[in-house]
Amino acid sequence: MNIPVLASKLYIPVPRTKVVFRPRLIERMNEGLERKLTLVSASAGFGKTTLVGQWADGCDRAVAWLSLDERDNDSTRFFLHLIAAVQSIAESVGKSAFTAFESSQSPPIESVLTVLLNEISALQFKIVLVLDDYHLIDSERIDDALLFLLEHLPPQMHLVIATREDPQLPLGRLRARGHLTELRDIDLRFTPEEAAAFLHQAIGVDLTADERVALESRTEGWIAGLQLAALSMQGREDIPAFIRAFSGDNRYIVDYLAEEVLQRQPEPIRRFLLQTSILDRLHGPLCDAVTGQAEGNVRLSDLEKGNFFIVPLDDRRQWYRYHHLFADVLSAHLKAEQPDQIGSLHRRASIWYERNGSADDAIRHALAAKDFTRAADLIEQACPTMAKLRQEATLLRWLKALPDELVRRRPVLSVWYAGALLTFGKSEGVEERLRDAESGLESTAELHERPDIRSASAVKIFVDEAEYRRLPGSIAMYRSALALMTGHVIDAMNYARLVLNLMPKEAYLKRGAASALLGLTSWTSGSLDEAYRLFADGMADVQQGGYISDAIGGTNALADIRIVQGRLRQAMSLYERGLQLSIEYGDPVMRGTADMYVGMGEIHRERNDLQTAMQLLLKSEEQGEHTGFPQYRYRWHVAMARIREAQGDLLSALDHLDEAERFYVGDLFPNVRPVAAMRAKVLIAQGKLREALEWARAHGLTARDELSYLREFEHITLARLLLARFRSDREHSFLQEAIGLLERLRQAAEEGERTGSAIEIMIVTALAHQMNGDTPAALGSLERALTLAEPEGYFRIFVDEGQPMEVLLGAASKKGLAPKEYVGRLLEAFVRIEGKTSAQPAANHSLLEPLSERERDVLRMLRTELSGPDIARELMVSLNTLRTHTRRIYDKLGVNNRRAAVRRSEELDLL
Amino acid sequence: MSETQRSTESRHDEYYEIRIKGHLDARWADWFEGMSLTREGDGTTVLYGPVADQAALHGMLRKTRDLGLALVSVIQKKKETNL
Repeated sequence: MNIPVLASKLYIPVPRTKVVFRPRLIERMNEGLERKLTLVSASAGFGKTTLVGQWADGCDRAVAWLSLDERDNDSTRFFLHLIAAVQSIAESVGKSAFTAFESSQSPPIESVLTVLLNEISALQFKIVLVLDDYHLIDSERIDDALLFLLEHLPPQMHLVIATREDPQLPLGRLRARGHLTELRDIDLRFTPEEAAAFLHQAIGVDLTADERVALESRTEGWIAGLQLAALSMQGREDIPAFIRAFSGDNRYIVDYLAEEVLQRQPEPIRRFLLQTSILDRLHGPLCDAVTGQAEGNVRLSDLEKGNFFIVPLDDRRQWYRYHHLFADVLSAHLKAEQPDQIGSLHRRASIWYERNGSADDAIRHALAAKDFTRAADLIEQACPTMAKLRQEATLLRWLKALPDELVRRRPVLSVWYAGALLTFGKSEGVEERLRDAESGLESTAELHERPDIRSASAVKIFVDEAEYRRLPGSIAMYRSALALMTGHVIDAMNYARLVLNLMPKEAYLKRGAASALLGLTSWTSGSLDEAYRLFADGMADVQQGGYISDAIGGTNALADIRIVQGRLRQAMSLYERGLQLSIEYGDPVMRGTADMYVGMGEIHRERNDLQTAMQLLLKSEEQGEHTGFPQYRYRWHVAMARIREAQGDLLSALDHLDEAERFYVGDLFPNVRPVAAMRAKVLIAQGKLREALEWARAHGLTARDELSYLREFEHITLARLLLARFRSDREHSFLQEAIGLLERLRQAAEEGERTGSAIEIMIVTALAHQMNGDTPAALGSLERALTLAEPEGYFRIFVDEGQPMEVLLGAASKKGLAPKEYVGRLLEAFVRIEGKTSAQPAANHSLLEPLSERERDVLRMLRTELSGPDIARELMVSLNTLRTHTRRIYDKLGVNNRRAAVRRSEELDLL
Repeated sequence: MSETQRSTESRHDEYYEIRIKGHLDARWADWFEGMSLTREGDGTTVLYGPVADQAALHGMLRKTRDLGLALVSVIQKKKETNL
């Protein structure tokens, strides 16, 4: 688990003592179960938690509870706890969702929620989820996810939100549709009867009617006010005088009463209350450590019995918290009375937490104490664990809370800082941090040389000795990654070599990463065999170090390299091995699995087994996005686009390429097939030459460019563009330019042993010669391509060229060109997809399987602006049924999203 | 917040007057950083002072919410020295 789940956050705070039973509100909450959401939205001190806790205790459904705090604005933490809460009452729920969080730092929330909601909808019983203190959430991401949850809420589940401010949900809409039950200030404030019952319970004395009215009108039924008033009256001789004075006073009720209450406490208790107000959770030994008193446990238990604004956080009464409002009041008093104490109180809390193994709390209190040296030490010790758990976001937050000059003086922290920045793809500031670390190293080296000054100025600049000794290697590694990220390949290579020299053999991860980085630099510069060898070495180390998922992810690079080299078989067995690894280690699904399916699909597509290719892509989608690496979505859409292209559906191919572009995140892999170029290739096939020309201009491509592996695909595509222009304008210079460019490309590809590229280049060359009327040259080029492609089972690379290639292959067949049997099979592929090889065949044929009447209705709705849930309501079906319909429509239309479905239905004139 | 910081920031600060119901004790002045606190004869309290930006203003309103204070008005003011 990335973040430990705090059981105390899941505890239902069932009031133990002196609570007024509120049947009218309980009844409304019970009725609310019929709806989706119960919103308890009221100001501080209106008894929200007490009411909901009381209701939950007597509710005949299983209730999951989550008490939120500020740190839950980290959406990972929020959802981990949310899932854990549901799991506490429904064991079968949440395992895959947890895995999603384990395998990825921030998996797409919607995909995690979908898994979770599906599991909930399989439950045989009904559940309630309570989110308490939702006002502490100030995160658009979480608000959006909550709305998603509500919109897809299965009938088995009801949601309760308790908050001091209305949540960012479309409440008007929910209200209008009858999905919402609301309890607000006016509902929650004590009625005169409830107030009377409460006061009777609390002070054991019956007040006169006048006195009660006086109290009620002064507090306006505000429960916190009445509770404070009751505390102030306990054991008082002259209650009437107290009430008179109180009701005649203008002061903020809490100020007036808290002072009364605090003044009447014995000094040790008063001190205890004030000093422990710095804690967000109260625990006997922790309170003792902070206050320097003993018997914190007894005090806490007494406070609970005395109804002293204290909320239990577990069954065994080990952890409590103050009511938030009361804690604020106490800490205001603390600030006013003992301002110079606050730092040392926090420091003591920090020490206690450190000794009791909670680094997170220890760091938080050290920062609050402004004891930055201590905080820095703690953070430095926590870094390796945080990095392994991929909690770089928290790490970065801590580091930013420290004074920068302190971080800069500490080499180990500076290097962690640089590493955390790089994990977020940020290059800015990295080099600066690494330089800081180096100068830290130098200054200690100086100290070692001059022992005379060593003792005099022995300022500690690190605590993690092992990490410190490895710093030169770590610095070199991050420099290498930075250089590669910013396009300085030679530097990247040199630094990666340095890492291998500096790092000990057992530093598997870092050595492996360095080898892989070297492999990437070779790849970027086009030395593919070397790239493969280095990257494979690196992955072996990484796997040895136990980072299986990263090793699986590395398969993407290895297979990509093999594909460029024209070794489809090897690429396929790499994916199979990756999948094998993920099955061996995965429980249930390892990250990287989804990528393997995409890769395998891509090879099946090339071999013209489009059905299997499609199945593999769907299978990868079923695994869930969280089982893919960051580039997964991009890869998926590219693979899908190419399948659509093979099916002759160029519009849909373009849609997928647009999506791919959206999901592309720059990583350290060289971007050798830029989406823009793939798009241009499709545009050329569509005859949209003007747009394709714009692409070539925007990317500064000309036939006279110097060639490099990185731009190879762009240049091949440029050659295609030149041929298309020749075809439309009959301007001979275009053809000559294309042939010249292709010849140079072929030489470069052959020199670099990029057989995969060479095959495509020869194919385009053959088409160019054919256009030029030079059939012998065309067949010569084609024959070479065929010879290289046959052993690896290439298909689409020929067939995608459409009719001109069919003609050429026909000629080859007549001439008995070798390999004969292969030519025959390729020609068959054209026959099988007859009518599909023209540029826009999709528009010319109607659906194989016609749409049903109901599906037409749905399709009509899809053409409107209505959202999914709106359509479901309009058609009076459940969202699930609607999804089944749309899925079937998409299948029949051969599309994958709403926009494409609409477009396709217009093309086919279906409505 | 130190004095020096205040003086460098104040050029950009907006001034606000936040009126709440009830007389608030002086010890809360520290809670609403940098605001002066005046108890008015009508039983309200006025918090007045510089507010760095909208986020800071909302943070301040959130504090009144967390204390269960009833908000009466929030008014943007010209800085007093300019009056």
